[in-house]
Amino acid sequence: MLETLELPFVQRGLFELLILAVPAGLLGTWIVLRGLAFFSHAVGTAAFPGLVLADGLGFAAPLGAFAAAIAFTLGNAALGRGRDQGRDSIVALVLVACLAGGVLLASDVFGSGANVETLLFGSLLLIDGSDLVLAAVAAAATLAANVVVGRRWLAHGFDPGARPASRGEARLLDALLLGLIALATTAALTAVGALLVASLFVVPAATARLLTGRMRSWQLASVALVAVEGTLGLWLSVETDAPPGATIACVAGGLFALVALGRALARAPRRQASLAAAALALALLAAGCGAAGSDDDGRLEVVATTTQVGDWVREVGGGAVAVDQVLEPNTDPHEYEPRPSDVEAAAGADLVFASGDDLDSWIEEIVSDSGSDATVVDLGAGVPERLPGEDSGEEASRFDPHWWHDPRNAEAAVREIERRLAAADPARRAEFQRNADAYLGRLRRLDAGIAACIGAVPASERKLVTDHDAFGYFANRYGIEVVGAVIPSQTTQAQASAKDVSELIGLIEREGVKAVFPESSLSANVAEAISRQTGASADYELYGDTLGPADSDGATYLTMEAANAEAIVRGFTGGRRGCRLSP
Amino acid sequence: MPAQPLIEASGLALGYGTGPAAVTDVSFRLEVGQRLALLGPNGGGKTTVLRALLGELRPRAGTLRVAASCGSVPQTDRSRLDYPVSALEVAAMGTLSRLPWWRGPGREGREQALRALERVGLERLAGDTFGELSGGQRQRVLIARALVQDARVLLMDEPFSGLDHPASERLEALIETLAAEGHAIVVATHDLEQARRWDSVLCVNGRQIAVGPPLEVLDREVLEATYGGAIVEIPGTGSRAILPPHHHDH
Repeated sequence: MLETLELPFVQRGLFELLILAVPAGLLGTWIVLRGLAFFSHAVGTAAFPGLVLADGLGFAAPLGAFAAAIAFTLGNAALGRGRDQGRDSIVALVLVACLAGGVLLASDVFGSGANVETLLFGSLLLIDGSDLVLAAVAAAATLAANVVVGRRWLAHGFDPGARPASRGEARLLDALLLGLIALATTAALTAVGALLVASLFVVPAATARLLTGRMRSWQLASVALVAVEGTLGLWLSVETDAPPGATIACVAGGLFALVALGRALARAPRRQASLAAAALALALLAAGCGAAGSDDDGRLEVVATTTQVGDWVREVGGGAVAVDQVLEPNTDPHEYEPRPSDVEAAAGADLVFASGDDLDSWIEEIVSDSGSDATVVDLGAGVPERLPGEDSGEEASRFDPHWWHDPRNAEAAVREIERRLAAADPARRAEFQRNADAYLGRLRRLDAGIAACIGAVPASERKLVTDHDAFGYFANRYGIEVVGAVIPSQTTQAQASAKDVSELIGLIEREGVKAVFPESSLSANVAEAISRQTGASADYELYGDTLGPADSDGATYLTMEAANAEAIVRGFTGGRRGCRLSP
Repeated sequence: MPAQPLIEASGLALGYGTGPAAVTDVSFRLEVGQRLALLGPNGGGKTTVLRALLGELRPRAGTLRVAASCGSVPQTDRSRLDYPVSALEVAAMGTLSRLPWWRGPGREGREQALRALERVGLERLAGDTFGELSGGQRQRVLIARALVQDARVLLMDEPFSGLDHPASERLEALIETLAAEGHAIVVATHDLEQARRWDSVLCVNGRQIAVGPPLEVLDREVLEATYGGAIVEIPGTGSRAILPPHHHDH
């Protein structure tokens, strides 16, 4: 059980949690006492526009988040001044304003939805030094304020009308409390994300409240409970390979339920304590059921980010390579939260293959955080055919990242994989070369087959409308005209505006486009709405950013491209013709 | 020439925000050792007068001179019962208004709080959780807090509501003792019989109806103007009871 804690990235996550236990535990008691749970949940979420601004203008994300959280707090204070009731509706009002502002900034000003996943989920496994510093600052400020003005927070909350001469002071005290909640929740954003902040700031304090009767013992118990639940959750997440933030939330929620249940069952105060202990023991027992995996012997350990890269490495490496593929089939690579096993795999990897550009840039952070010295091979950097990327935003990619939809690029990537594997394990050079040659033979046959099949469709009918701009390379290779996309961006994180959609509908009607192609990993709602409006078919799904699951017709790179060609030709011809390729 | 009054109000008009005035024409004096009953229907302006005396509301018209520190003894409503504080801690909160913001009550403050609990007869319950005390005990803890605050004037908002007869008598005796010791007390109440035993009554119903010693002031005409006519003569006793319209105990 304890060797888990020797992994450096786990230690850093644990350290972050133990530091955060101080502000979360202490502020949690005030949040519960003053009915600020919704505010504490909202203030992290309201940091969204700050993160987008930080990303767009190029300054530190925590700074942007904190500034936005403070603006949110001030907005609440200004609107809610002099009222005790209706605070929640004001919080909701300002929260909606913040989220709307963030979406507008992300979609229309900077054209990137970057950092949405950091905001919503965060990751304890990717904590760095600055996160720890921010947490320590929040901890120190909270501890100081709690010691110095805690008794005034208590007296003021107990009876706001008791001290008529000090209304200005009361307002300052409130502002200090709300400001600290804003600081501490933004410090926790990188660790657990806005959606799960309550698992550290509200649930443990509410649980401890059930077991204690005085402020001081409550605060101590609350801090201890955050630390215990955090440690337990982190350890469980590594053992079971689940996302840490969600695991901690489950542990905290489960413990609260058990304690509340125990209290309801036990009338006598003595039995409460024993039941709580029993609940804790039960939770620990459940935690003990997790099992650890074992290492492969003598094989190259290789990490591949995307499904198609994983497929190629398995083809070329054969039985000589153990592949850990980070992304699961049918998940959107633009939205990804690292799991403990990914960091662990990176820590033990000999080689890491990435697709490159903006698609999987998170791998760099995982590799450096795991303490691994494995080389990250950016396959996209070495491919011969490159299409321009989008030029908006500070960090816009120079190239369209969906390069694998051109088989000539896939060929270059496979050759690069072969070269790197051979360099890492020279004894198997010949085996890798045989595998690569055989695979590329099948790839070239497929390429020729697709070209012939699409070439049989009159050029004027080869008009492609897809979910997002993922098929530029495919279109370029096979002479297809890309008319438009539902999400007019190469990232899936932008949103289609009403104007975009109505322009697209006009375009589809003008150009006589016969089909709109939804992507298998995205929701087909908008494509279907456009289909209803224009009469163009939305029946044929394409594989864009990811392969399909093992039992689908897009389980490997070759079958995926064949299935895409089949779908596109059926769409172009109104279903009359397909390709019948068997790669 | 009587001593300087602790509180002197003349022609007060009070209200909230930009809304209509809640109560007008309020004029009265409060002397050392005086017990003043504040009578009126719900919504008649009793609590508004108390808030003005606490300094929470600035008068719209008239003058209000408060020459002594006022301590609030509010109703103990639900939310406060949730607080994880002992009777002693609540009493010790009275020290905070006298101390700079970074200072706590300290040992001296806690001793003072304990002495105040002794004065209200609760020293043996000092360690009990406030929310678990009975209604009368909670009122006495809040009186102890006002004493710790060194308040000369105690402002009590319906302290007798919800108390049983013995608790009510004990509280009334405590108020009498405090008045004899030199405090002045303003009590918003619905209990007309109790008010008759006190030094002075102030009747409000959107405006001041009357003020003065109860035997002079509380005649049928004043009571009808105060309570809108909902007065019941109790047969055989000659005394009258009041049925305030839409009475709810908070």
